Amino acid sequence: MRRSLPLRLLLAVTILFFLLLIGLPFWWVISGSFKLPQEIIAREPTLVPHSFTLQHYAKLLDASAYPTYLLNSLIVGLASSVLTVLLAVPAAYAFFRMEFPFREGMYRAILLAYAFPGVIVLIPIYGLFAQLGLVDNLLALIIVNTTFALPFSIWMMRSFLATIPRDLEEAARMDGAPTPVILRRILVPLILPGIAAVGVFAFISSWTEYLFASVLILSDDKRTVPVGFAGIIGQYQIDWGLLLAGASLAILPVVIIFSLIGRSFVSGLTDGAVK
Amino acid sequence: MKNLTLRGVTKRFGATEAVSQVDLEILAGEMVVFVGPSGCGKSTLLRIIAGLEPVTEGQIEIGGRNVTQAEPVERGLAMVFQSYALYPHMTVAENMGFPLEMQGLAKEEIAARVRATAETLQLQDHLDRKPRALSGGQRQRVAIGRAIVRNPVAFLFDEPLSNLDAELRVQMRLEIARLHRDLKATMIYVTHDQVEAMTLADRIVVLRGGRIEQVGAPLELYDNPANAFVAGFIGSPRMNLIPATAWRDGDRLRIVVPGGEVPFRPAGPMPPDGAAVQLGLRPEHMAVTGGVPLPAICETIERLGAVSYLYARLADGTTVTAQVDHGLAATAIGGQVGLAPDPSKALLFDASGRRIA
Repeated sequence: MRRSLPLRLLLAVTILFFLLLIGLPFWWVISGSFKLPQEIIAREPTLVPHSFTLQHYAKLLDASAYPTYLLNSLIVGLASSVLTVLLAVPAAYAFFRMEFPFREGMYRAILLAYAFPGVIVLIPIYGLFAQLGLVDNLLALIIVNTTFALPFSIWMMRSFLATIPRDLEEAARMDGAPTPVILRRILVPLILPGIAAVGVFAFISSWTEYLFASVLILSDDKRTVPVGFAGIIGQYQIDWGLLLAGASLAILPVVIIFSLIGRSFVSGLTDGAVK
Repeated sequence: MKNLTLRGVTKRFGATEAVSQVDLEILAGEMVVFVGPSGCGKSTLLRIIAGLEPVTEGQIEIGGRNVTQAEPVERGLAMVFQSYALYPHMTVAENMGFPLEMQGLAKEEIAARVRATAETLQLQDHLDRKPRALSGGQRQRVAIGRAIVRNPVAFLFDEPLSNLDAELRVQMRLEIARLHRDLKATMIYVTHDQVEAMTLADRIVVLRGGRIEQVGAPLELYDNPANAFVAGFIGSPRMNLIPATAWRDGDRLRIVVPGGEVPFRPAGPMPPDGAAVQLGLRPEHMAVTGGVPLPAICETIERLGAVSYLYARLADGTTVTAQVDHGLAATAIGGQVGLAPDPSKALLFDASGRRIA
């Protein structure tokens, strides 16, 4: 499609605007994490760093419990995303292909989980986990994160399954494949972009979750990054360098995941939306 | 080799009856073609036989064994889908080997059977390729190969040639006919194309509105249709069905059509005087003369190379088709022609379409 010069210029300016809007905060955080403290708090802020130091990272990794928080977040995030995928795929298939009473009603009802702010169910959930002896246990966070990621994940997986021609499943039935084999050998390989999308969504939700992590985890050595890091900052007043270094490191796993499977994630989002 | 029997098979979707009281016996080794217009129930019937759709009423037997409630794999049938339904993430070899893997066969045996089948279908050089790297005809052969490796009781084809271009369709039709001869297998073939039905079938089952209109060998349906629907559906161009009235004339009938009369000797009972009927005549039994007995206005001439067809309009607006010589001048278009039906080849149907003579 040929575009006129003014239109192309407008498009370029718009893209540049959004690039700066989204990119500048990231640049500020990352570049600031390598600046000397006096440059960080200088009256005139610097877009291009004039100094370079790794002292903030050294302090973060050597003199704080941040590595522990990072590891806990990674454990909870990965376990939540794997569990979400393992549960969402068969649940979505059941909602999509199987006939059972109140199927459509139940499919809509599961999204009601998002009608309530987390703080409303915080106390009942705490009570539940207290009775189960799971307070101050990473498993509690894995269960909570999976629970809140599942409804949307099921909804998204069902949309992906709907893009698979029914003929393929019927051909597999004619070939003698039972339902679990059809799901594992035929459908799952074809909805990998969707699975990537669901996995990334569940990981990011878990990675940034603060409310339940702050209530269900009591010991410092079991804290995740959002809660533990907030404690570090509070403990040392506002150490801006430490704050920026911690934020930079917190972005890193998400960036790595997106660099590995980000293309699948994007195609997964759009494939599910358009038949 | 086993017969396949349908008794009173009915399928309803809510209030809609898609298949209605179908009784049919398919003999072992036979190629039976289900043909009919869109929505006639032919694909639904095929899916019922396959086990992909449950019946509402009725019974299905294979070799005398009741398989009405049996799963598809338990019926021993193999199906070739209209869309081929090849697994896109698997190679040709994996696609063809998948049903054998589901049967629990050893890898070596699977590989041997896949290779042997691939060689009969000229696919041996494509075993490591994925379906997206194949042409339409090759994909069709892979789908057929996936059915053949199973050594099924019967093959089910659901409009397998619909997605192919005209030339490839002819080529694949010949391949399917060859396969039927070589394998001597029972085949049930669904198509909306009556040319495929006429060329492939040992017997044709014509369906309309979920019911069987007629079952018979291709030429039997062509020469001796049971009703006006079958008469019009089988044969291309379709049979001329001219609205007329019948009048008794001794032991004959005078069939009064727009612009003239056609004498007719019925083999069975005579319709009452003045009965509304339809006179059926194939285009090859309708000659063109310079004048009477049936005056018509020539609308167009289709020259197909091997044969030409003239389309003319009778006095009441009915369009009639006649097979004509190549030599018929194009100046005939728009002019008056005389149509001379061959009474000895004519068929008679009542106003509702039922064959009466």
